[in-house]
Amino acid sequence: MNHVVTLTGVTKRYGELTALDDVSLGFPRGRFVAVMGPSGSGKSTLIQCAAALDLPTSGSVVIGGVDVGTLNETKRTILRREHIGFVFQSYNLLPAISVEENLTLSLRLAGKRPDRPWITELVERVGLQDHLRRRPAELSGGQQQRAAIVRALAARPDVIFADEPTGALDLRSASQVLDLLRSLVDDLGQTVVMVTHDPAAAARAHDALVMADGRLVDVLPEPTADDLAARLTGLAKRPAFGGAQ
Amino acid sequence: MIRTALAMSGLGGLVVAFFAVFGGMALVTGTGVIIESGLRSSITDQRLTGADVLVSAPQSHWEPESLPIGLPERAVVPAKLIDDLTALPGVATATGDVTFPTALLSAAPGTTRAGATGETSGTRAAGGAPDTTSAARTGRGTLETGEHGAKTVNGASDATLAAAASTSAAQTGEHGAKAVTGPSASAAPTAKVVGGTGHGWASVALVRGAKVIGSAPRAADEVAVSAAHAVRRGTDVEVVAAGKRAVYRVTAIVDTPGAPALWFADRTAAELAGRTGGPRAGTVDLIGLRAAPGTGPGALAEAVERRLGDDYVVSTGSAKGDAESPGTAAARSMLIALPTSIGGISLLIVGFVVGGGISLSITRQRRELALLRAAGATPRQVRGLVAVQGMTAALAALLPGAAAGYALAGWFGELLVHLGMLPERMPLSYSPLPAVAAALLLLGVVRVSAWATSLPASRMPAVSAVRESAAEPRTPSSVRYRSGLLLIGASLLLATPPLYIRGEIAVVGPGTAALVSVIGLALAGPRLVQGATGLLARRLPAHVPAPLWLAVSNTRGYALRTAGAIAALGMAVTLTTSISLSHTTVMRATDEETAEILKADAVVTAPAYGGIPDGLMDDVRRLPGVTAAVATSTTTILTSPFGDGGLQAQPAAVLGPDAGAVVDLGVTGGSLADLKGAAVAVDDRSGDVGDRRTLVLGDGAEVKARVVATYSRVLGLGPVVLSRDLVAGHTTTGLDSTVLVRGDAPLDRLTGHWPGLGIAADSDSPQAGRTSSQLWINVAVLGVLLGYVLVSVANRLVATTAARGPELTAIKRLGATPRQLTAMIRWEALLIALTASLAGLAMSAVPLVLLGIGFLGRPWPAGPLWLVPAAVAVVCVVVWLAFDLTARRLIRRA
Ligand SMILES: Nc1ncnc2c1ncn2[C@@H]1O[C@H](COP(=O)(O)OP(=O)(O)OP(=O)(O)O)[C@@H](O)[C@H]1O
Ligand SMILES: [Mg+2]
Repeated sequence: MNHVVTLTGVTKRYGELTALDDVSLGFPRGRFVAVMGPSGSGKSTLIQCAAALDLPTSGSVVIGGVDVGTLNETKRTILRREHIGFVFQSYNLLPAISVEENLTLSLRLAGKRPDRPWITELVERVGLQDHLRRRPAELSGGQQQRAAIVRALAARPDVIFADEPTGALDLRSASQVLDLLRSLVDDLGQTVVMVTHDPAAAARAHDALVMADGRLVDVLPEPTADDLAARLTGLAKRPAFGGAQ
Repeated sequence: MIRTALAMSGLGGLVVAFFAVFGGMALVTGTGVIIESGLRSSITDQRLTGADVLVSAPQSHWEPESLPIGLPERAVVPAKLIDDLTALPGVATATGDVTFPTALLSAAPGTTRAGATGETSGTRAAGGAPDTTSAARTGRGTLETGEHGAKTVNGASDATLAAAASTSAAQTGEHGAKAVTGPSASAAPTAKVVGGTGHGWASVALVRGAKVIGSAPRAADEVAVSAAHAVRRGTDVEVVAAGKRAVYRVTAIVDTPGAPALWFADRTAAELAGRTGGPRAGTVDLIGLRAAPGTGPGALAEAVERRLGDDYVVSTGSAKGDAESPGTAAARSMLIALPTSIGGISLLIVGFVVGGGISLSITRQRRELALLRAAGATPRQVRGLVAVQGMTAALAALLPGAAAGYALAGWFGELLVHLGMLPERMPLSYSPLPAVAAALLLLGVVRVSAWATSLPASRMPAVSAVRESAAEPRTPSSVRYRSGLLLIGASLLLATPPLYIRGEIAVVGPGTAALVSVIGLALAGPRLVQGATGLLARRLPAHVPAPLWLAVSNTRGYALRTAGAIAALGMAVTLTTSISLSHTTVMRATDEETAEILKADAVVTAPAYGGIPDGLMDDVRRLPGVTAAVATSTTTILTSPFGDGGLQAQPAAVLGPDAGAVVDLGVTGGSLADLKGAAVAVDDRSGDVGDRRTLVLGDGAEVKARVVATYSRVLGLGPVVLSRDLVAGHTTTGLDSTVLVRGDAPLDRLTGHWPGLGIAADSDSPQAGRTSSQLWINVAVLGVLLGYVLVSVANRLVATTAARGPELTAIKRLGATPRQLTAMIRWEALLIALTASLAGLAMSAVPLVLLGIGFLGRPWPAGPLWLVPAAVAVVCVVVWLAFDLTARRLIRRA
């Protein structure tokens, strides 16, 4: 079994509301996986649990052979540093430090020496070499998101989770970011899990997972944009949207 | 406090503004009450309650374009005015009144008054075992008396005392009272002395509701006593009146409220008060008028004013209290002067804190304001919104702040009374006026700072407003930076006076310098913080722990945010160290110089007698072991300390030509032996022997004097020393206040004949006393101000830290463990606390070093130097509490 992260019977509740309902799945190494589904279907909750940013109410998440649920906050953080990179929709760059310092921040926190050639390679790949000394606020949204992706990759994580990385970007910037993610998978064998609402974006992935009401309702290998659009429209029309079962 | 702020930090920066305005309101209202009292308060227990109008000489000195200066020494009125005023229509009676100090000596109940008949048969034992009763009373006196009638003559010492007593008999004999000769047997084991005032019998008519039992004193040896003295009619009492000791027969008891008093036959009173000859011949202290039936006091006062013009003060109602006791007018002008010296600092701090609080609350809303702009609000609308918000927070704080202000003023008044700077019978006057004035002032400050802070945010184009607001770190303005540096530079100049001016006045420079540099620090702070932390970040070894690195980066990145706190904390450190240590330095220098000046081994005072009574000097001189004794007193003169013509009341020592025996002023020209006639000795930097000086004395009289000596030790006795002859007739009591004694003498023996004497081994100069009460006032004010600054800084830190939730969450998501987050916050706290302490110490260092060089001849100030680590520790604790308690919650939640 070659899964970087394995979820078994993961349920996440917020009070009465069940955001994730008994989800079991594994993310295979070296694949580009898209997660789709209507708003509120539990996509963000899913990848946050998978990335150990959050703990499930029940069920287990295993990263690098370790059950996340058995770890305390500090140990979980350390595990995450070693195995996971996360790209947020809102970039999450620290405004007070330069772009370059942002790139190596996670490594610093891990007490690791940054692998300079690797970071330089990544920076050149995303075309940020001229912007390293600037503050994040002085970059465009697309540039900031690319910087965030470099930061996620800097520690060579097993898997990168990206929550709507293109959500705030225009078409061109979004396309650049998607190209980047795809090339990471193709060229470097990186595992990438990306949440998106855009069927065209999801079509760039190897597999598409479809969520509805906190459940994993479909897995589409090598999806096309049309398939996905049709599948999602069907879900959106479901009368029980937001309901229990 | 921090917990409260924490609980309310959800309400945003407005809480900070609220607390800032609350404290500011309390401080300004409190100051206002003090100022208003300086203008309007009056003594509670008037003596001449029966007079409708009092006429007195002005007790304040008016200079063009400045506040009147209160004159503490009695200025007198010619007695011939009494006749003029009696003739005035509407006047029923016009009565001249004089006041002089009296002391009633009394034996313990049950002891007979052996000496009262004037026989020289008193007995006194000198030396012997200490008597605990009198030791307790006089502090150190030892006294033992033999049984009545027993003659325990004890060698030479007793003979000396007998001789001394006969001298005083010769003096008192003049005005006909039975002289007490010989050491009186009234010196019973519990002999007491009760101080009070003395007046002419006519004054009783001016006391409303005085019940007189007995007949008026007519002969020179008769006296009426107030019921408070508790003696019986017909008995003989021993009295020291205006320094003259004699026995009087009590002819009447006068039942009046108020302080103990004695009434003498009018002629006797005039003699005792020195109005029958000498410089004050033919004068009275004041004239009391009773209105004829049908004339109101107001109308009478107007008529008198028309008749007398501006040369005299005509008072009615509570203002009469001022005429009665000139000291109250002086105390009042002190009340006005106090806030002008410390009020500047308070106002500065209030402006600083309130402005900072408002700007913080606005800065925290930058994003919302930007979005508002983007949503179509005009710059004016945005500013209006901000102003309304600030005003709301301020308005809510006004009432509680005012209440706290009145409480604060009351507490401060008690302190002044305790320090003897405010008469107990002159309570502060409370009216809504100070609160109203304070409210207007604070709302003004709030309005202006709200406007100034919201100006950039409101003017910015809407798009960049949103953009900029997202990028919280902003670049500090360079105009602000440069003006800050300029102020810091200017403060260095202001700190130099101690190098070339000697005297207490030189302290003003360093104090101002510290203040100016603090403002400079607040302005230049953001850039300085950016620069310093930038340097630190670059110098930081590559592999420092991530939390430390992040802390440095944050401090630099959010320079505006941190610099505000650093400047406020730095201000606290600067004020504490510079104000306290400059005072202790001057005090130390004054003490040291006083020790060099006064060669006295002991100091004798006679507070119960209102001054050194006649005969005491001789008694002292006749004691075995006394090599020299010099009487001195302190009066007030108006001088121009900065040489710019602006007059200030200042204590000045009064010495006679014999002063040289005990006083060593470091004479550089002339001689103290020439302190005769209209003569003064002056600081050798301010004049030369032979110069002519015009001085304003404590009663407002302008006198001309010759400089007969110059001296170098100006700290101990001040820059001018007056001759006794010069001030004769220009002081209220006409008595010396202190006898400086040289030699190892059994001074305790004096208390047998003169109970209630103060005998002290160390000699304090008048300047030292003044400096130390000034120090206590400063310490009190400083304490309140520091509390205010620290609480408001803590508030600010809590508010800014509480707003960092998203930032902490972000860092945590990037892989920071809770421990690393906590460490980062602590490093930041340490960085801010240390930077603030360093900056604060740096700001006060230059003035203090210069002051040390100028006053102590060494480049550091006098202690207590533990104030420095203490100030640093307090700053560290405040910052640490504010950061750690607030961040702990955020980290748990992040
Ligand atoms: N912290 C929270 N507290 C309470 N409810 C939450 C919380 N986070 C998410 N939810 C709820 O859980 C459900 C799933 O949310 P989630 O954010 O995973 O949806 P999503 O699929 O990512 O939606 P979107 O496409 O809009 O981002 C939603 O109904 C949401 O309201
Ligand atoms: Mg989501």
